[in-house]
This record gives sequence, C-alpha cells and structure tokens, in this order.
Amino acid sequence: MLIMKRGEKFLAVALITTAFVLTVLLGTPFGGCDSSSSDKDSDEMVLRHALFTKLKGLDPGDMRDVYSVTVASQICETLYQYHFLKRPYEIVPLLAEEMPEISDDFLTYVIKIKKGVYFQDDKCFPGGRGRELKAEDFIFAIKRIANIKYLSQNWSLFDGKIVGLDEFRRITKGCESEEDVDYSREVEGLTASDEHTLVIKLKKPWPQLVSTALADIATAPIAKEAVYSYGKDIVSHPVGTGPFMLKEWHRGSYVELVRNPKFRGEPYPGEGEPGDAEAGYLDDAGRIMPFADRVVWTVIEEYQPAWLLFLQGKLDNSPIPKDNYNEAITETRELTPAMKQRNIQLKKFWAPSTFWLGFNMQDSVLGENKPLRRAISYAIDREKFIEIFFNGRHLVAHGFIAPLMDSYDPNIKEKGFAQYDPEKARELLKEAEKNYGGKLPVLKMAIPGTNSFNRQLGQFLKRYVTAVGLDVEVEYMDWPTYMEKVNTRSAQMFSSGANASIPDAEDFLGMFYSKYWAPGSNWFNYRNPEFDKLYEKIEVMFDSPERKELYRKMELIVLEDCPAAFLNHRVVFALHHDWYKNYKPHAFAYGMSKYRRIDMKKRAEYKELLKTIK
Amino acid sequence: MSDSHNATRARLPRGRSLWSDGLRRLRRRKLAMACFVVVLIYFSLAGFIYLAELFDWRIGPTLWAEQVGESYAPPSSENILGTDIFGQSVCRKMLYGTKISITVALCASFISIAIGVPLGAIAGYFRGIADEIIVWIYSTLSSVPYILLILAFAVVLRDKTIFGYRLTGITAVYLAIGLTSWVGICRLIRGEIIKHKGRDYVLAAMSYGCSERRIIFKHLIPNVFHLIIIDFSLRFVAFIHAEVILSFLGLGEADRPSWGAMINDARIELSRGVWWQMAAATAAIFFISLSLNIFGDALRDSLDPKLRIQ
Repeated sequence: MLIMKRGEKFLAVALITTAFVLTVLLGTPFGGCDSSSSDKDSDEMVLRHALFTKLKGLDPGDMRDVYSVTVASQICETLYQYHFLKRPYEIVPLLAEEMPEISDDFLTYVIKIKKGVYFQDDKCFPGGRGRELKAEDFIFAIKRIANIKYLSQNWSLFDGKIVGLDEFRRITKGCESEEDVDYSREVEGLTASDEHTLVIKLKKPWPQLVSTALADIATAPIAKEAVYSYGKDIVSHPVGTGPFMLKEWHRGSYVELVRNPKFRGEPYPGEGEPGDAEAGYLDDAGRIMPFADRVVWTVIEEYQPAWLLFLQGKLDNSPIPKDNYNEAITETRELTPAMKQRNIQLKKFWAPSTFWLGFNMQDSVLGENKPLRRAISYAIDREKFIEIFFNGRHLVAHGFIAPLMDSYDPNIKEKGFAQYDPEKARELLKEAEKNYGGKLPVLKMAIPGTNSFNRQLGQFLKRYVTAVGLDVEVEYMDWPTYMEKVNTRSAQMFSSGANASIPDAEDFLGMFYSKYWAPGSNWFNYRNPEFDKLYEKIEVMFDSPERKELYRKMELIVLEDCPAAFLNHRVVFALHHDWYKNYKPHAFAYGMSKYRRIDMKKRAEYKELLKTIK
Repeated sequence: MSDSHNATRARLPRGRSLWSDGLRRLRRRKLAMACFVVVLIYFSLAGFIYLAELFDWRIGPTLWAEQVGESYAPPSSENILGTDIFGQSVCRKMLYGTKISITVALCASFISIAIGVPLGAIAGYFRGIADEIIVWIYSTLSSVPYILLILAFAVVLRDKTIFGYRLTGITAVYLAIGLTSWVGICRLIRGEIIKHKGRDYVLAAMSYGCSERRIIFKHLIPNVFHLIIIDFSLRFVAFIHAEVILSFLGLGEADRPSWGAMINDARIELSRGVWWQMAAATAAIFFISLSLNIFGDALRDSLDPKLRIQ
C-alpha cells in the first residue's frame, strides 16, 4: 500500500514537471508555434509581407500566378534578370556569366554559366550537400517543361521554337507517366558544350528569347535530384540556387524563407538612373546581398486586416485598399498628414497591365455582330468605373498596349475606341438587332469571384450595359469554374486582365494571335488573318522603329474588330514604412527580397511612435 | 324534462378548443401582439414587392437599382438611409432585402417541415427498423456543424440544373437550408408521436380499424400541429440568419440586394466611415429577429397546455 502511494506520488510529480516544462517551452519562442513572437526579441533582419491569396506551389517549371512567382523567385534564379535600378528596363546576367553570344543568323545562342554557383543543401543530395550548378540543369528545366506528362503551363513559351524540342515532346506522349520520361534523350537545340556552357539552337529567330524565356522563372533550374527524390511533392520542396531557401510553408497561412548559407553572395548594384542616389537607392552599393536573414509572407486574403497590420508596423509594405484610400492619400495624390506622421512613404508607378470586358468571338451572338460589341464598349463609362473602383488612380485603357511600353501610342485616345457615348451605343444596338434578325437574347457575363468587389464589378458593368437597352445576366463563379468556361470557349462575355511579363508589347499582342485560342492566351478566340500575318512577322523582328509601327498597326486592327471593351490600366500606389530600404518599384521582376534591407533602429522606434499616435 | 336539460346546457360554460384557447391567451399579451404586427408588416412588404414585380409597378423597393444620388451620400432628408457605392438608395435596398430574406426563410421552413414531419411521424409510429434508419440519418446529419453543412449544400447546389431548372443563388440557398434543417422538427415530432401513440384516441382509432396512414395524418399530426407552428416561428429567425450568413459569404443572391450582401459590402465600407448600409441591414434583421422571438415564445406559452394560465 505504502509502495503504491509512493508510486502515485512519483507519477504525480513527474506529470506536473512534464506539464511545467511543456508550458515553459510552448510559451517561449523555442516552442516555435508563433513565428511573430520569435521576431520580437531577435536581432534577425526579417522582411514581413502579406500574400493576398494562397500559394499554389513552388515548382518553377509550372507556375504563372504572380504570388507563387513572387515567393519562388527568391529561391530559384534565372540566367538573366532585369536590372534593379536602371530605367528603361535593362536585361543583365544573373546565373549567366555574360550576355549570350548570338550567331549571325540569330539562330544559335551560346551562354556561359557562372562557376561556383551551388544548389542549397538538401537531403536529396548525397550527404545532404548541394552540388554545383551546370549547363545540364538548364537543359533539364526546359525539357521538363516540354514533357507532356508534366503538363506545364509554360509550354507555349517554347512551342515551335527550339530545334528538336517539339519532337522530344511528342516522344513523351508515349510515356506512361512523368517519371518514365527519359531526360537523357538528346535534343539537338539544347546542348552543353561543356559543364558551364549552354547552347540553344532555334528554328527561327526569337528576339525575345532572353527576356521572355531565359529571364522567366519557368527556366530557373531546380535540382533534378530534388525532382526525382520528391516526385509530386516537389511543389513544396523547391531546391534552387537563390539567396533564400524554404524553411516553412503552412498552406493557407504563412511562408517563411531563410537565408541560403550556400548562396554565392552578390554585390548590390552600383549604378542606376538619375535621382537614385538622392533617393537613397545607392546607399548599399557594392555591399553583398542578401541583407535579410528571413522573409515571411503571411497569407491574408482580405485587404482590410493587412492594412491594419501594416499600420501597426507588422508588415513592411502594403497596397492601399480602395476603402482606405482617403485615409492615406489626399486630393493632390500625396500622403495624408496621418500617414506622414507614421513616416510612411508612398511609391507610385505604372504597372504594365490592361483590364477588359472580353467577348467570345466564336459565340454565335457576339462573334458575328460587330455593332453589338461596339455598342457594349460605348455603353461603359470608364472614367466612372475608375473613380468608383480605383479612387480615380488608374488610367482609361483606350487600347490594350499599356502606357509603360515604348510602343504605346500617346495619341490612341483620339481614335475614340474607349469613348462613353450611350447615344451611339443605342444606335449601334439597333444595327446589331438588324444583323441578328430580331431582339437580342440575354447576354451572359462571367465574373471570376463572388466577393464584394466582384459583385460590385458585375453590378456596375450590368448597370451600364442594360442602360442602353441590352439584357445582361451576370454569372459570378469561382476561379476554377471561370477558367473552365474560358478554356472551353463557353464564356460569352468575361471580365479579365493581363500583366505583361516583359517590357515589350508582344505579350499583349500574343493574346490576339489565332494559334493561341483558349486554352491558350487568346481567350477572345479572335482571328484576323491580317493580324496573324503581322504577328508572325513581328515575332522574329528585333526592336526597331519599324516593329514599333507594326505593333501600333496591329493594335488598331484589334481595336477596330472590338474583341473586348478595354477598361483600364493599373497605376500602383504602394506604401511602405521608412525602415524598409531599397524599395524601388519594378514592373518586371519578382526576386526582389535580396535587395531589401531593414533599418532595425527605425523599426524599433516605430513601436514608440505608435504610443504617441492617438 | 327537455326544457330543464336545455337550461342545464345553457348554464354550462362553453368548451374551448386548444386553438381558440391559445389564441385567446395570446391576444392578452400586448407585446406579443405588437411583435406579430411587426412580423405581419415584414410579410406584407415581401408580398407587396412580389406583386409589384409581377405587375411591373414602379414603387420604391423595386426601383432599388436606380441611382438617386452621389456615391456614398450620407443619410439626409432626400435619402433617408443614404446611398451605396453606386448612389443607390440604401433604404430601397433594405426594403427589397425583406423579400429575399422572407422568401428564403419561408421556403426553407416549408422544405424542412415537409421532410422532418413525415419522417418524424413514421419513425415515432412504426419504431423498429424504420425508426433506426431515420434516427441514424438525422444523428449523422446533426453531427456535422450546421453552418458547414449548409455551406457544403449551397456550394454543391449552386448553378446546378435539376429537372431543367437552374438553381440560382437564392434557390440554392433555401434548398440548402431546407435540406439541412429538418433534423430538429423530425426529432420533436418523433418524440411527440411516441408519446401520443399509446393514448386513448389513437387506440380507439386502431380498434375501429383505421389505416396507419389515416392514424398518422388524420389523428396524430393534427394533435401535434401546434408544435410545428411554434417550431416554425422560432426556426424562421434562424433561417433568416442563415440566409444572411450565406449571402455574407458570397453564396447567396448576387445580383439583387439582400441583407447579408448589404452587410458584406458594408463591412469594408466601414473603414471609410460609411456606416449607414451596415446600420440599415442590421436594423432590419434586428427588428424581425426580436419580433419573431418574442412572438414565438408567446405562442409556445399560449399553446402549451402545461403552461396554461388564466
């Protein structure tokens, strides 16, 4: 009996001790449950951002969405990148030693790859130590995209461009699964003349090869050992050469990257454009990057909580939600005194984007009825649209080439394609009814999303289109349903937009090329033989005044046919705290975290500043 | 003899049925009657909007889409509850939202009663394997959190075509609520039927050789019908709330105003100081919820024989 009691006492003491130890451990940063708490007393430099949607995956070979690319670009690197500071945007080597040697016929590119670049350490390598990057890794990345079993979204980048790659793709069709594909099979246009020299042979000149493909995350090498080792799980195990590596990824919650100890280190650029030195963008010139120890993205799907966290100093930067615009920006488009009091800084820049209400040109009602499409375009008040939804920040899209592009036509407004003219719309509608042979049926408009913004967007478009006498039914749907409708060419009208990935309008023009019909980038299923002919011509042309003229001519052909009512171009108003250094807006690059630096003293002072702000 | 018998009958107090007795006691509760009037106003408004839409009458609530002022104009003598993002009258939207909410709550109530009452009666009357199956089904259903279950149904039903009829936002909402909310009434009716099954009037009906269907639907259900009405009045509020939640989550009516959609819009507008849309929608929900709750409680007390007070 006595023994039992002693045993019970011992058990009780052991339980209490264990509970106490657990409580202490979980209550401290060592518990690791709360990453933000661990930041508090740490001297680590942590970049803190919000992600406004859940990440899909971090496999660079198969991603096109901005958020995945933003995170993956810190882990994986490309051969070339856009210069961080110079404007106009300039392509510079990243993993490449220098710019490519191009043959006289523009068909062969020889690219020297930097030596001494290593993949991050990972258990997929023998002994867990990352190996050196070789030319073969780039060949593997491109062949992987060509593998039909991999179903990469990026295949259209290479379709019909590299010698032997289309044949390789055809062979992969016969394989049972992705794993069965023999990547050692030779492709004539993709070879390594030595361990650090990549040779690419093209079928026809491709002037945008470097900017479109070799500076795109799609071609960033990911260790083949990781691809074989993790299989389908590679989406959450990216093994790259970049300045950061993935530490944690809680889907739908947060992503944390830590500095890659194997990273070779790169000097911060020493030259930029006039005014950069005064703006402090050259303060860190020559210092070895990255500066931050960790990068954390918290998934916050609503803008409002992200805005509040930004004001509390828990995020380094933030866009301005439309309902907080007046709180942040004055009528003269400057910061309000309240923001200045917090030492918040404003960055305004044009994004290379265009948004529209698209028409399915293969639809029996809309496709054959140009007056109807024109009527809808004339029925929409774009100025009002921008005022209501973007606080007047955006620009009216008179065409589809964004103002940031050098081929943007400054006189496009005078052509009058984006005019708001309800009377003209009504007249055109009468003509449209005549063409149709009676009263027009109810038109369906697909809106991607069911949240407040999308509902209001649908209501706005419906309100203006019905005001001129058309019947419209708005269909609100989730993104996959919307994509299915667009990809199966069954959406009649659809609200959409695009962001150019290179500072060349070819990205926009490609959206109207008939070979890229949905599920390709031509969601309008638009076809114009004259346009197609010109597109095939400009595709192989290098930058020149003649090409610029052709771009503008092609834009006018599309505007005349009216496959969409182009609405607006985005102008970004972004805020950041004064401790967030080297935040120079960049429209075409995503791997920016290596440049960013935190002024730890200023960040600490903000906590004190908050106490003084009512 | 005959005269004295008639005189005796005349002296006896006249008997009152459960219903007339209940209504008499209900009428004595002034607050409950005031709440009943409020509920009636909401129902009349919803009915009136239906008629107005049917006959194309151009009255305030049906003209909710009309622009009456500037975007986000605050409440004023011109626009009593201000305007929304498009300059539409918030007051008109609130009134129109009554139609959506009442429609959803009514349809969902009828669906849940149509499923719950017969199943409860069958389970309670027949017991055995039928009872076990029905109890198993509703126990499984009730083990899933209510809102999650409605959400799942709403997502699955949305935009589906059934028998050639496309389920739009509002139809999917009331179907989702109705198909998931019959458990409570089913459980209640089952218990009551078990209790009533052994009573004299049921035994008498059995001894007369009445069919089981007749006993259930002609004798048992009329005797527990007051419970259905009480349950209906109390559940109605929950259904209005469910519609608001679904609309708030973007699964409700997308193209026309509803209280949930108004709250969803107003949520982000609050940060720019636009409070009137939120206030209007919550006030509309508050008054019908309060009225239905008070009236439902009073109805229960009035029709419950155990709570009879003179």
